[in-house]
Amino acid sequence: MEAVTTPLAAPSPVPLDLGLYRELQRYGARDVSACFSCGTCTASCPLSQTDATFPRRIIRYAQLGMKDAVLSSKELWACYQCGTCAETCPTRADPSEFMAATRRYAIASYDRTRIARTMYTQPVLATVLAVVVALLFAAFMYAAHGPQSGETLAVFEFIPGHLIHDMGIAVMAIVVLAGLAGIATMARRIGRREDVGWGDVLGSRAALARSARAAWSAVGRESLGQAQFRAECDTGQEATPWYRRRGLVHALTVWGFLGLLAATVLDYGLDILGIKATGTPVPVWYPVRLLGTLAGIALVYGTSVLAIDRYRAANRAVTRSTTADWMLLGLLWVTGVTGFVLELALYLPGAPAWGYWMFLLHVAVAMELVLLAPFMKLAHAVYRPVALFYVALAKEAKP
Amino acid sequence: MTAHEAANARRIGVYVCHCGGNISDYVDVDKVIADIEDAGDVVVAKTAMFACSDATQQDMVADITAQQLDGLVVASCSPKLHTYTFRGVAARAGLNPYEYTQVNIREQCSWVHTDDQQGATDKATALVRAGISRTRLTTPLEPMVVETLPRTLVIGGGIAGLRAAIGLADIGLGVTLVERELELGGWVRRFGPMYPHGKDGRALIETLVAEVRRRPAITVLTGAEVVGKAGSFGNYRVTVRVGGEGAGTIEVAAGSIVAATGFDAYQPETGEFGYGIEGVVTLPEFKALVDEATAPLTHRGRPVRSVAYVYCVGSRNTGGCANAYCSRFCCAATVQTAVQVSGLDPSIRQFHLYRDMRTYGKFEPLYTEARKAGSVFVKFDNDAPPAVARRDGGGLTVTVRDLLTHNEELALPADLVVLVTGMVPRDNEALVGVLKLPAGSDGFFNEIHPKLRPVETVVDGVLIAGACQGPKTSAESVASGLAAVTQSAAILKKGFTELDPLVATADQGACTACGDCLTACPYDAISMTETGDRHFAVISPTGCKGCGGCVPMCPENAIDLLGYTDAQVTAMIESLVEVPA
Repeated sequence: MEAVTTPLAAPSPVPLDLGLYRELQRYGARDVSACFSCGTCTASCPLSQTDATFPRRIIRYAQLGMKDAVLSSKELWACYQCGTCAETCPTRADPSEFMAATRRYAIASYDRTRIARTMYTQPVLATVLAVVVALLFAAFMYAAHGPQSGETLAVFEFIPGHLIHDMGIAVMAIVVLAGLAGIATMARRIGRREDVGWGDVLGSRAALARSARAAWSAVGRESLGQAQFRAECDTGQEATPWYRRRGLVHALTVWGFLGLLAATVLDYGLDILGIKATGTPVPVWYPVRLLGTLAGIALVYGTSVLAIDRYRAANRAVTRSTTADWMLLGLLWVTGVTGFVLELALYLPGAPAWGYWMFLLHVAVAMELVLLAPFMKLAHAVYRPVALFYVALAKEAKP
Repeated sequence: MTAHEAANARRIGVYVCHCGGNISDYVDVDKVIADIEDAGDVVVAKTAMFACSDATQQDMVADITAQQLDGLVVASCSPKLHTYTFRGVAARAGLNPYEYTQVNIREQCSWVHTDDQQGATDKATALVRAGISRTRLTTPLEPMVVETLPRTLVIGGGIAGLRAAIGLADIGLGVTLVERELELGGWVRRFGPMYPHGKDGRALIETLVAEVRRRPAITVLTGAEVVGKAGSFGNYRVTVRVGGEGAGTIEVAAGSIVAATGFDAYQPETGEFGYGIEGVVTLPEFKALVDEATAPLTHRGRPVRSVAYVYCVGSRNTGGCANAYCSRFCCAATVQTAVQVSGLDPSIRQFHLYRDMRTYGKFEPLYTEARKAGSVFVKFDNDAPPAVARRDGGGLTVTVRDLLTHNEELALPADLVVLVTGMVPRDNEALVGVLKLPAGSDGFFNEIHPKLRPVETVVDGVLIAGACQGPKTSAESVASGLAAVTQSAAILKKGFTELDPLVATADQGACTACGDCLTACPYDAISMTETGDRHFAVISPTGCKGCGGCVPMCPENAIDLLGYTDAQVTAMIESLVEVPA
């Protein structure tokens, strides 16, 4: 966030959307009308090193109804919600939570299906939907179920492996399409405001080099490495032991999730290459199984600590929670824990029958998690890197 | 020496002050003494470190008594500071206070001639000589004692006038309350809830009017106007026209007059911030709309979903044009109205376009309240004022550069634009002519001293209160109304008053009744009278303020100003032009 002040070249007056503020409140934005733009949030923000307007400006946009400015803001996504500003704000306007709500609003706005909007603004309906989707997946798979072998836990005989694969590919296709559409909308908006076009990103060798560096910063350093989150945005947790700190716990959750995704894909890859058929029993040290186990430990540890901290409102970042927060944590945790129980069942003698049901639950919830990703909090995993790409690009000198 | 031993000789004491160096650093005070001590009639000539100090005052009293002085000259600072101090010294020593002359050698010599000590000293010497010359010709004068009527005329039945009338009656003075409109209450009568506590303006006025009615000492004249004033301080006779144009007049006798004539709301020019466009209203218009409204808020049948307030309209103008002042009440009034609107319908979006928010003192929480109720405040630069235009398809658009959003130009959609208009002085030309009220360049009436004499005017016994003095909140207006009560009581409760005897007198024998002096007198103190077939001018000693304006107008030199007679002034001039030995 150093020196990322956006030059504003608005030639004509910005039309205001008087409904924006109320709309944001539907996404859980607290009342920020108390904010009088004093800038204490900016002064205390660990990310706002030279830009004198972050995050104050975002709140100002919302107060005034500058909808386009909000939806084309790359800075919105630079914040990791450490909560420092919520503590220092003299009017208790809670800028930190406001930024989070505005991100929810942005996710919903980039999604043209309006599913995300429903998920965020109608908590009861969203919860029912989550349960129903999981049940539908389970029912669909159960409808095609085979025998439950009593000798070894032959889960892919119980639920046909090809059915899971085909379902997975279909779900992935939906998710990728929805995700790409959202990313395109977001990138177009930010690009227009930042005056960054295709030419600036891909137009020349120098532009390509800049884009590559920005992409590395956004995807490599910040998304995979969680660098800034773990470093700058870890303030105020000096008294917390390192293994409970927000930055690390979030990173473990991310790494666990990505590790499990990698293990799943690798397992499929091994099957395609004919090295190991899916479902073949392997020892626990088998590399892919080991990766899955370790990633699973990371995910379950991460989501457990996040859930406990959130439940206890243990730090200033989680003083407030929404249904959307709990839903993501819940789905991740259930996916992780059912995976472990399933692994336990795999190595237990006598192929316990509950292992099959655990498998059905695990697959149903994992499918749901992936399917709903673009419409829930998990969507930040793709939107944030896009925004951070523009943040990094702005730091690169323009040709 | 006694008076009969030297009939024409005077015994004058002269004191020249160092003012602790303020004077003596540049004026050689000892040389001044040396130069004047040989002047005729000077019996005592001394310097003093501080002439106004208690010790020096006691020395003076002792000198006057021991040396039987009959004239006193103190050369020190401006007469504005210490005339009354040394008149007091004279009085304590048994000397008539008007036998004393103040000579200003600080402001007129040492402070202005720091580059020329010799010149400053010579000038001081000349001024002291002139003072001695004047003192030689002084005569004992006695203050005029005038009986005062225990009755006050209050002009204006707004909140300040009503409260003043009640206060005056309660302190035992008779009151005549004159109101131009047919109903008492002024501006406040039109208001619903008012800041800071949301008290209803109409209810406040009803309470006050009921209190007025309960007091037999108060006579209320509504639909009435002050059209003439005669007499002088303590005994004014005021002509009041009652029953409208062409109807009769009555005469009201009063010892003092309190003008509480209030203010007018600034009326924007057509086109000023879009004034004239449907949907652009002033703050008083909007306040009336909101006071009468029930949810949903509508304006001329159309629902109001968003309001934009433009502050400082007609106030705080720069560049030399009118209304440079801050109208003071409007920020708080607007913010309070916005809170009222939020109470009516919290979903109405309200934008406040301001230059500076001045919800001063205890009104600051109102600003916070408005913000919490959802009002958004947009600060604009004075050089880039907002523009209001009609939007295609109804409604208005206000464009403004928001200083807090990097000066981005915003287009605010608004159903109503409220121009936050301030206070302007009432058009009171006729009353000003009658009462001789002094108005400042801004058109509001001027008090003598904003801090120390906040409700008195230069016209004795004519007091001002409320927003006719300048922009005030209703609370401040009431406070100044009560200050006028106290001041009226202070001058009327004794039953008499002493007037300065330094007034003009006309020599009946020399007067040819040409009438030139009548037009010269700004206080209407001169009138023509006749005895038999002789016409001549008579100057009312109580009406005269001693300004001296009539003296040079008289072709016959028939007018003399006591204390500054022609003879005295001529003698002073001669002393000043006299070349020192």
